[in-house]
Amino acid sequence: MSDKNINRREFLKLTAVGVAVAAGTRAVTSTKASSDAPKGKHQWAMVIDQSKCVGCGYCTLACQAHNDVNPEIQWNKVLKDRVIGDKQVFLPRPCMHCEKAPCVEVCPVKASYYRDDGIVMMDYDLCIGCRYCQVACPYEARSFNWEKFEGENPAVPEWGYPEVERRPRGVPEKCSFCYQTIDRGLSQGKKPGLDREATPACVNACPTGARLFGDLNDPESNVSNALRNNPCYRLRENLGTGPRVYYLPAVDKQEA
Amino acid sequence: MLKKLITPWTAWLALMGLILLGGLVAGVLVFWKGLGITNLTDLVPWGLWITIDLSSIALGAGAFSLCAGVYLFGLKRYQPIARTATFVGLIGYTMATLALILDIGKPERFWHSMVYWNTHSLLWEVTMCVILYLTVLLLEAMPILANLEWLRKRLPRIAAKMEHVHHYAPILAIVGLGLSSVHQSSLGAAYGVIKARPFWFKPEMSVLFMLSAIVGGISLTLFASMLSSRLTNKAKINDGLIERVAHFVGYLLIGYFYFRAWDALSITYAYDPGRSEGLDLITKGPLAFNFWIVEMLLGMIVPMILLLYKPTRVNRFWRMLALLLVAAGVVAFRWDTNITGFLVLMPYVPGQAIAYTSYKPSLVEIMTGAAIIAYGLTAFSLGVKYLRVVDHTLVEAEHAEVNVEATEPVVA
Repeated sequence: MSDKNINRREFLKLTAVGVAVAAGTRAVTSTKASSDAPKGKHQWAMVIDQSKCVGCGYCTLACQAHNDVNPEIQWNKVLKDRVIGDKQVFLPRPCMHCEKAPCVEVCPVKASYYRDDGIVMMDYDLCIGCRYCQVACPYEARSFNWEKFEGENPAVPEWGYPEVERRPRGVPEKCSFCYQTIDRGLSQGKKPGLDREATPACVNACPTGARLFGDLNDPESNVSNALRNNPCYRLRENLGTGPRVYYLPAVDKQEA
Repeated sequence: MLKKLITPWTAWLALMGLILLGGLVAGVLVFWKGLGITNLTDLVPWGLWITIDLSSIALGAGAFSLCAGVYLFGLKRYQPIARTATFVGLIGYTMATLALILDIGKPERFWHSMVYWNTHSLLWEVTMCVILYLTVLLLEAMPILANLEWLRKRLPRIAAKMEHVHHYAPILAIVGLGLSSVHQSSLGAAYGVIKARPFWFKPEMSVLFMLSAIVGGISLTLFASMLSSRLTNKAKINDGLIERVAHFVGYLLIGYFYFRAWDALSITYAYDPGRSEGLDLITKGPLAFNFWIVEMLLGMIVPMILLLYKPTRVNRFWRMLALLLVAAGVVAFRWDTNITGFLVLMPYVPGQAIAYTSYKPSLVEIMTGAAIIAYGLTAFSLGVKYLRVVDHTLVEAEHAEVNVEATEPVVA
């Protein structure tokens, strides 16, 4: 009797171990695949020159118009940085479109995902509204739709016309680098960052030219040039998220 | 006539019904108006509901720990307690599901997590494990549900089939142990992987969640059993059994206390931006009472003494008090951990100072939360009354009938 018992028990134990190992192996391999950095022909990036930014907030308004954003939500937030001399320095903060985006990693349903060109996208139809992405984002770049955005958009038509669908109540939303403009522009043979028709709304709206947009894969693009010729930094770089938004600090320009 | 109607039992049900009704109204409001009527914000997106969710899963952990003990480690004599724990677990996990449905912005899409997999996400893993484990719990609870008098009389065949599931208890215990180990610790890891918030970002989160769940889960089951036996003669307990498990909880508490204290106080070794501020919040700030008194003193040290010192452990009142305190301490741990990570706002503009935010649950959150707890209490008391959930005399007969050989104790 005891022999039979031990055999059965051993069998059960072995089965459990086997299943665990198999599941573990699968989890590890597929995990690696899902967090691979995107490799597309283009790798879009933004460069923001803080010495030029005057904090007017036109970028935010243009963004709200083109993406039909609730006036209570700002995909692109203009924050106050340090004061140098008697000059206030500003820091505009869109989504960083991280190379290793915490939001993409934590989303339970793959509603946050990478495009081949590096844009971190939201599938608002998949999202269940758990807000784990908001918890994980180091830049507070995501805003939840606590209420439905109804009525007129005060930024329209002065700052532009909506190009994307309004998001429903119950999902978080964020900057998309105006992917719709990039895609439409590319299909017309335009160059994002150079031709206005293919460039994100905030870049076009900036009156001082503080924002540059372009392809990191193209060594002659304006972003590649700017990053090659200027000192730059990224936000919370120590976290290893690899933001695609670079800042040219104001301080160096003044001292130079 | 009226006197007959108002018994302690009906009064209890009426009270629970009232809380459930209030929660129902508040819940409908949440689904209708959306999460905008809560006090959750973009800075504190998880609040009271997530604490209820985490706590009910943690306090349901008695099911897997005791089932593993009984069916895998051969501690067969504790089977009646494992039975109660299974029922408590079933209630706990359904409570968690209710809290989650309220908490997500798109409740009608709850099934997405089962269809659209992101295997890299801890929340996906937890969701899958919880759904699978809920199935295991349902199967494990089949023999208990088969005790319903009505079912036995009207559908004796189905009742017999449900009781037969007991044959598979060892297999279910293995699956349950596996699933629970994964998701109990993964709930901690769900916080532990968030590098944006240094207060959470550490590997020991999973260990702490797992350990506290085992300690709190067993304690709640023991407490519920003892309380039921005091309140109704439908619950029959073998106090010796409970005392021995309670003694074990006392030892477990030493381990939990060591890890929790070491985890918290090791932050003082060096200043670490965000993490040190979090520690200040729980040791000196608004959460200090929760941390020092509810978690540390009442949740660990006092029950540790009460359960390890024989005269107090043998005394039913002190033992019950100790077990209740342990469960409450685990809930406080979940609350403190969740909220502290949100209250400290890490600056992303270079050179800016750390800022703070605040959160107090709104009335609808409290009312729905209370209703979820009331549902759990109602379900348990109905179980005690009609399903013999707490009945330590039941076991021998049941085991003789089904003769589960694999559960024969290896060590007498």
